[in-house]
Amino acid sequence: MRFYLLPLAACAIPLAANPYTQFVVNLMLVYILVAVGFNLVLGNLGQLAFANTALFGIGAYAAAMLMAHAGWPFWAAIVPAGLAGAAAGFLASVTALRGIRVYYLAIVTLAFGELLRWTYIHGEAATGGTDGLAVPKADFFGIALDSETARFYAFLLIVTVMVKAVSNLLRSKIGRAIVAIRDNELASASLAIPTGRYIVAAFVLSGFVVGVAGSLFAVLIGRVIPESFGLIELILHFAMVLVGGLGSLTGSILGAVALTALPEYFRRFPGLYEMFFGGLLIVFLLAQPRGLAALAARWWPALRERYYREN
Amino acid sequence: MAALLELSGVSVRFAGLQALSGVNLSARGGEVRAVIGPNGAGKTTLFNAISGYVPIEQGSIALGGKPIHGLTPHQIAARGVRRTFQNGGLFPELTALENVLAGLHSRIDAGFAGILFGTRAARAAEREAVQRARALLELLGVSHLADRVVKEMSGGQQRTIEIVRAVAAEPPLLLLDEPAVGLAPPVRTQLVGLIRRLAGEMGIAVLLIEHAMELVMAAADAIAVLNGGAKIAEGPPAAIRNDPAVLEAYLGHA
Amino acid sequence: MFALQLALSGLAQGAIYALVALSMCVVYRATTVVNFGHGDLVMAGAFVLYLLAVLAGLPFLAGALAAVALLFLLGVAIEVGLIERIKAGPHIGFALMCIAFGYVLRGIARGVWGREVLPMPRVFDFPPLVLGELVVTGDALAVFGVVGVLLALFFLLFYRSSAGRVMQAVCQSERGAALVGINVRAFHGVMWGAGAALGAAGGVLVAPITLLHPGLGAIFLIKGFAAMTLGGFGSLGGAVAGGLILGVAEQLVGGYVSTKLIDITAYLVIILVLALRPSGLFGRAIAERV
Repeated sequence: MRFYLLPLAACAIPLAANPYTQFVVNLMLVYILVAVGFNLVLGNLGQLAFANTALFGIGAYAAAMLMAHAGWPFWAAIVPAGLAGAAAGFLASVTALRGIRVYYLAIVTLAFGELLRWTYIHGEAATGGTDGLAVPKADFFGIALDSETARFYAFLLIVTVMVKAVSNLLRSKIGRAIVAIRDNELASASLAIPTGRYIVAAFVLSGFVVGVAGSLFAVLIGRVIPESFGLIELILHFAMVLVGGLGSLTGSILGAVALTALPEYFRRFPGLYEMFFGGLLIVFLLAQPRGLAALAARWWPALRERYYREN
Repeated sequence: MAALLELSGVSVRFAGLQALSGVNLSARGGEVRAVIGPNGAGKTTLFNAISGYVPIEQGSIALGGKPIHGLTPHQIAARGVRRTFQNGGLFPELTALENVLAGLHSRIDAGFAGILFGTRAARAAEREAVQRARALLELLGVSHLADRVVKEMSGGQQRTIEIVRAVAAEPPLLLLDEPAVGLAPPVRTQLVGLIRRLAGEMGIAVLLIEHAMELVMAAADAIAVLNGGAKIAEGPPAAIRNDPAVLEAYLGHA
Repeated sequence: MFALQLALSGLAQGAIYALVALSMCVVYRATTVVNFGHGDLVMAGAFVLYLLAVLAGLPFLAGALAAVALLFLLGVAIEVGLIERIKAGPHIGFALMCIAFGYVLRGIARGVWGREVLPMPRVFDFPPLVLGELVVTGDALAVFGVVGVLLALFFLLFYRSSAGRVMQAVCQSERGAALVGINVRAFHGVMWGAGAALGAAGGVLVAPITLLHPGLGAIFLIKGFAAMTLGGFGSLGGAVAGGLILGVAEQLVGGYVSTKLIDITAYLVIILVLALRPSGLFGRAIAERV
């Protein structure tokens, strides 16, 4: 129940924020979901995967296409967007299970990601090609999301529900199995944990969460273009998860909130964005590899990632 | 009592080496059977074969009468085989409690949907598991370590936690691979007591690889000796202690 | 004849891929780290050459040698300054570190390059070789020549010289090598440098015949991976073979199916190989799934 305090408190934000700030806050909500999803695979499962922007994109495109071509209302497009991401995650992980997994997961997810982006670019009629698709007005159960404030409350609801769901999963036998595989896969098998199944499950879950984030992104930005989902975007995702804290749900939130607003400052100067985020990653890897969450947990031990519930 | 585990003529070969040849071995519930032998005799390979990490070339391995050779490690574990690892198999980033909970994985009756939506049934199953894990840590004298992260513990504490984790699901067969390595003598005495309780109180069939002879003599009901991949002797501790073939194997391996 | 002509130009491309894949494989075999920033090192090689040749006016050969030497130093610096420092952390840290410095390199290149795609002046001014109906362009001849020499030198060095024996020893067993007195840390640094230099050689060769842009790094990375996967991950000869085959496959796909598919041939190769034969053409058998 303590979990809902923060979202409840957040409800007051629109009272103080102007539309631009509100937009940034909305973007933070989207990226919280992105980071939470990515962290499942990168931090909890401990696997290097490059597919996150692709999953983000497939969710965004799925939602945009359903809304623009099939006339679906936004609220109906959210789950399909998630499912699209989940399917992509499933395909990538299942393919990679056949090889030397550590590297092949990375390589296959890179290949899948770029392959997906290629289809966005060449999908012409369906995806709008390089110009992308305009996203029609979002309808949330009859309420038109035509202001940043309206979007905020819808996003807050969706993000809260999803983060709670992920928290439930992590603080159970499922979460334990996933991190067990990360920490010692051979030993996990010796405890009757079907490792292959959980690896795929982690990817599917991650894909679903990031896919849903994509649908929110599509509505927030109003347009989906292939360029938003390439390797440039990916470094931001990596940075959020690492800076926040690998494997930490709290960390994902911290990382997203801390970094979302930054890219805007770097757009003017070509190259500065990549240099900054690459450099940020390097600094944290050298100095604080466990991220902000670990720093926070030093003052509030209750923030330490726990994989069970006592209640 | 019929043997729980039965190895017949088991041979294992890898990288051109005959690691095990024609090994016969059995294990019974409530009994501690030690497997000893010089380095390279094939002891850990034997454990790896039983638990499915290494394929066997010839022979059969049966658990409760049913063959388990050829199954994957997690399938074999699902049938009730648990083990510890020579180099320590704990999950370093998790607490002792979380490690033991991982050991209870197969016993927790909560499905994906239940966990996802936080249903009362799922939460009850999880709560029960946490209680069980804490009780087990208490029973084996390490409840004060429950909420400490494993990688911050001493070697002896880690070995104990690994054993607690391995027995959490009450496995009929337990393979302990050199549990006493790096432990100080007083801790070793405690370990002997723990192993005897596992067999005596919990009725587990324990197979034990160990180099520390006093520990083996004190803990084992029977000893099998391996050398060069073959079993060269088997019997009660007193008999093995004086067996010429065994002495030859150890002394001859200078 | 069409197919053969395609194959020929494919081999020229493939030679570059072979070099990139080999350099990645060398670093992997020598230090067990897969460098996810390797493509950006290759791009950096091309980039440095561009700066020296176009902005500083150096002749191509001098610029190329300087670029390779500088990249060698950069490779060593990265290994010693960054990779060594995080040896104790989680494995995923290495990969993230490689990704991170890759992005930094890309950022520097973009910062200096701006938003344009930059051409280099033509360098390989040999007349094309005409064999009946087949034409081998001057570019292709130059690439074949240089790559051929480099590969021959590399394999000679690796298998025949004492330095090569050291490499093989450390690849087999680091602890064993340390026990016989080989300075493993220095070895790691040198091998990263060597990998970077070899990769830079690829970048330098490709620079005059391609349009340069900072995103080239990602493309090289994928081609290198595809080649390594095809040839068998971890196999040096496999990396070379994989690169050549990939180059040919791309041209054949482009010629017979659609030029749009050239870009994604590498991705499809990766997925197909893993689906059908995960160990690749010459790779070691894949360990059993647990």
